[in-house]
Amino acid sequence: MIVLVTGGSGCGKSTWAEKLVASMPEEKRVYIATMQVYDDESVRRVARHRAQRADKGFTTIECEKDLASADIPEGSTVLLEDLVNLMANEMFDGGDVERIVPALRELSRRCAHLVMVTNDVFSDGVVYAESTQEYLLKLAEINRQAAELADCVVEVVYSIPVAVKGEVPCV
Amino acid sequence: MKLYIGGVYQGQEELARTENPGGEFYPDFHEIIRRVVLIEDREPREFARQFCQEHPNAIVISNEVGAGVVPMEASDRAFREAVGRALCSIAQEAERVTRCVCGIGVRIK
Repeated sequence: MIVLVTGGSGCGKSTWAEKLVASMPEEKRVYIATMQVYDDESVRRVARHRAQRADKGFTTIECEKDLASADIPEGSTVLLEDLVNLMANEMFDGGDVERIVPALRELSRRCAHLVMVTNDVFSDGVVYAESTQEYLLKLAEINRQAAELADCVVEVVYSIPVAVKGEVPCV
Repeated sequence: MKLYIGGVYQGQEELARTENPGGEFYPDFHEIIRRVVLIEDREPREFARQFCQEHPNAIVISNEVGAGVVPMEASDRAFREAVGRALCSIAQEAERVTRCVCGIGVRIK
């Protein structure tokens, strides 16, 4: 099963995505971590996420960009967290945005199950500087492609999963 | 406990008042969270748990504030995150959660 999980900041989407993966087969459970750690806030965030998934049997693979280079065993159950960071790293840290979608396609083919987490950053009504607008446009495109790959798309609203495509999987 | 949420000006307060005449309302709950967390420096989930215990019949009304670009200001980031954490706890406690879009309530729990 391929699932795309979206939602706003602090809405509980990581917690729900982890629960979903915990309901899937236990062998070859891989967590792809994309966040660059550069300040206290990101250190705390990483620590919180690590603690949250500590007992769920994940092997963590760090992959800040070039998702295709991550060594993911065939038949894995993968939690990819998240498309927003991956996108930012590709765009603002000397990567290549265009390689994300092909890598997602390849990953979805290799995996037994793939859960992708993204973020709703589109609804604050603010018009940003050009580079940020470009980032939003590209991220929206990637979200749409990911949604097309997915069997179901779930928006987590303050801990409550709401179906956007398909049905909400039981966790 | 009931929770009504929505983007700015989506009619969640009016809907909550129409559906629950005489209820114990807490409108603009995101502003309460802002004060409690940023000024009184409390942990949002701990605050939410205590609130639920003390006000089991509350009708909580809040804006959704997390669905934008990550703010530059650390305090704005902390505010968004705190609203998320606190409302997750309240949504778990609530017997129903209604999301208001263009004045129309969509019951999500």
